[in-house]
Amino acid sequence: MGRWLPERLLRLALVLFSISFLSFGLMRLAGSDVVEQKMENRGEAVSAEAAEEARASLGLDQPFLVQYSVWLKRAAGGDLGRSYVSGQPVAEAFWQRLPNTLRLAFMSVLLTAVLSLPLGILSAVRQNGPVDYAVRVLSFVGNSLPNFVVALLLLYILSLRLGWLPVISDGTGWESAVMPGLTLAIAMGAKYIRQVRTAVLEELSQPYVAGALSRGIPFARLLWGGVLRSAGGTLLTMLALSLGDLLGGAAVVETIFMYGGVGSMAAEAIRMRDYPVVQAYVMMMGGIYALLNLLADLGCRWLDPRIGRGDM
Amino acid sequence: MKKFFSLLILLALAAALTAGCGGDKKPEPQRNAGRVFTFGDTTFNAENEEPDVNPHNAYAGWACIRYGIGETLFRYNDKMEQEPWLAEGFELVDDLTWKIRLRDDVAFSNGRKMDAQAVKECLEQLIKVHRRARGNLNLAAMEADGQILTLKTSEPEPSLLNYLGNPYGCIIDVQAGITPDGIVAGTGPYVAKKVIPSQRVELEPNEKYWGGKPQMEKIFVQTISNGDTLVAALQSGQIDAAYGIPYASYPLFQSDKYKFTGTATSRVFFGQVNFASPIMQDKAVRRAIALGVDKGAFVKTLLWGYGEVATGPFPDNFTFGGKNLRTEGFDPEKAKAELEAAGWKDTDGDGIREKNGRKLRVRWLTYPSRQELPLLAEAAQSDLKKLGIDLIVNNTADHNGVVKDPKAWDIYVSAFVTCGTGDPLNFFSTVCLDSSTKNRGGYHSDRVEALAQEMKGTFDRQKRGELAVQIQQELLDDAAFCFFSFLKMSMINKAEVQGLKAHTSDYYEITKDLSFK
Repeated sequence: MGRWLPERLLRLALVLFSISFLSFGLMRLAGSDVVEQKMENRGEAVSAEAAEEARASLGLDQPFLVQYSVWLKRAAGGDLGRSYVSGQPVAEAFWQRLPNTLRLAFMSVLLTAVLSLPLGILSAVRQNGPVDYAVRVLSFVGNSLPNFVVALLLLYILSLRLGWLPVISDGTGWESAVMPGLTLAIAMGAKYIRQVRTAVLEELSQPYVAGALSRGIPFARLLWGGVLRSAGGTLLTMLALSLGDLLGGAAVVETIFMYGGVGSMAAEAIRMRDYPVVQAYVMMMGGIYALLNLLADLGCRWLDPRIGRGDM
Repeated sequence: MKKFFSLLILLALAAALTAGCGGDKKPEPQRNAGRVFTFGDTTFNAENEEPDVNPHNAYAGWACIRYGIGETLFRYNDKMEQEPWLAEGFELVDDLTWKIRLRDDVAFSNGRKMDAQAVKECLEQLIKVHRRARGNLNLAAMEADGQILTLKTSEPEPSLLNYLGNPYGCIIDVQAGITPDGIVAGTGPYVAKKVIPSQRVELEPNEKYWGGKPQMEKIFVQTISNGDTLVAALQSGQIDAAYGIPYASYPLFQSDKYKFTGTATSRVFFGQVNFASPIMQDKAVRRAIALGVDKGAFVKTLLWGYGEVATGPFPDNFTFGGKNLRTEGFDPEKAKAELEAAGWKDTDGDGIREKNGRKLRVRWLTYPSRQELPLLAEAAQSDLKKLGIDLIVNNTADHNGVVKDPKAWDIYVSAFVTCGTGDPLNFFSTVCLDSSTKNRGGYHSDRVEALAQEMKGTFDRQKRGELAVQIQQELLDDAAFCFFSFLKMSMINKAEVQGLKAHTSDYYEITKDLSFK
């Protein structure tokens, strides 16, 4: 553990530097810039001089490497700049939206676990039976439906037909996270049902299971006390990686439900070529994702002390 | 396994905790509670350069004027002609001097009387901070005397009154200041109480409004950028009216429960021909495109009737609009005949014409951010195929990059507001002249150049209109541009809503007359 953690942190710094350079470059390769995007949105004419002046005021007339080094220097000093579009400090905009994204991510992971764990275990335990087939078909359907279709279906059923939830949420309470959370959980849960099933089946095929059963240990006790415990590490890694994905935001779902999270902010920033926001998003998400991986590794070691004994 | 479940419980707790840290706690729009009106709008957002309601900030004047917060000295009527609003009248003293007489009964929402001094302060601030306004107005000096405001321009500016009616010309009390979230003291029937960029504006009545008593107790303007969500919000009754409903969803609201209001605006969907492209230098090809696209069917079928066929760059109801032009309608047979006469024939029987071994293939560049443009591209592709023209559609968000390369496209189809200030010269000087920044296809006409030059120095409104018609006719005769249709600015509201009316200018939405039955 002594060297392992500093090494991971050093790797994290290198990763962040690399992705910041890559995203900076890719955004420039995408063509167009924020001045052109704004002109397009308005559909009105702006003189070439005005457009050039706007570019110069944002530093967009500078060579790529100059722009990048200016950004890097400021970012290293903790200044992520201001949005080219709204003029708001980028860090402020990000932190304003982060709680919404966190709420949505936790809600989705929770609902995913609630959906996928029982169904995945049931499917494994009743392997090749009618229940297994039914769950697998459900999983197949859930996996095949794009998020926006699920979102619109939920909107239609829960808001328009049943009137249980508002179409436009205020983005701060629980009810506002239910439909977007459920939308994401249906797709993710469908995928994880199969993974849970596979993980549990793999454990069930281990010799210790046959041995325990032959010694008369009840199946339920074996399942809860042995099989699921051993599969827990896999499931935890899986959920942690999903949490990483979700913390990156779910732009389509956020847009449909008018949910003000970082995903829709990033998507809009990419469309508008709002470089400071895109850079901040990439850096922060890179950091969060790497941190979650680190926590998942630590969690796996905690759940199964055999892991990583070699480098402790 | 206990550990695993304890992690899940921890996750649930974390989710519960984040419910309390949402930052700015926003009230849910109160629906149908008394005289509370909720308006769903797709346009109020920073990406559209409307980050707040301060008319001196980018294009935020649109929000200021649309939501009844600010008013201008002159406003546009249905024909896009100027009428006095906060002004009572004007006098053109000489080519450089305008004397404007202001109404005597107008106060700002903070109680200050609107006199010439207040308007002068506002315009001084405007030209100081707003580049576009500074360039348009060309103001050299201003004098205030009671209710008389004298404006001196640095060069003859026949369109000055048009520009004063632009949303950036909303008169605000600059002494009252502008709050950090962009709230201003205007003269309109409603006052902004809260502005959350790209999310919501909350309005209350201006108790000091000079034009009568506003009917609503509270108005919420809610930004809903997704069309399907906007539809669901109106269907569920969560909003009372909507701007920006997708055309394909219109049939959902064709019942007694809803009302439509719409009018053609000067936002035109039009094509600019690339004169650097050898194939487009052939006038027969340009004319075939103009004659061969069934604009009427496009408007009727794909826009569900909520558009207007375009003859030229300006709608028919404008004094210098399409009704004054000589043009030919949809005539595929004539288009075919002209192509044949020009030597374009289908010799190999594959349905596409050829000439000198070259296929009649036209590259149509457009972009997806305006929902009408991809639909138009598909309609044109289908129509022109019947004439033997193979239309290759490049529908890309990077159209601004592609259009810079004259070898990469043949016709560029975009949306453009041709007459946002009621002055036709703006379109010509932006798109059609040698000096135009948006003359992407390199069009040149000596006659158009001369007519535009003459228009620049003409003050007489009727004469300007005549010149505008002549220039348009030149553009059509050269088949240099194809004008397909105008956006019909439409709003859909619940049947019990009264006083919400679409306006040609696309500016005035919320007025004092807005009420419930």
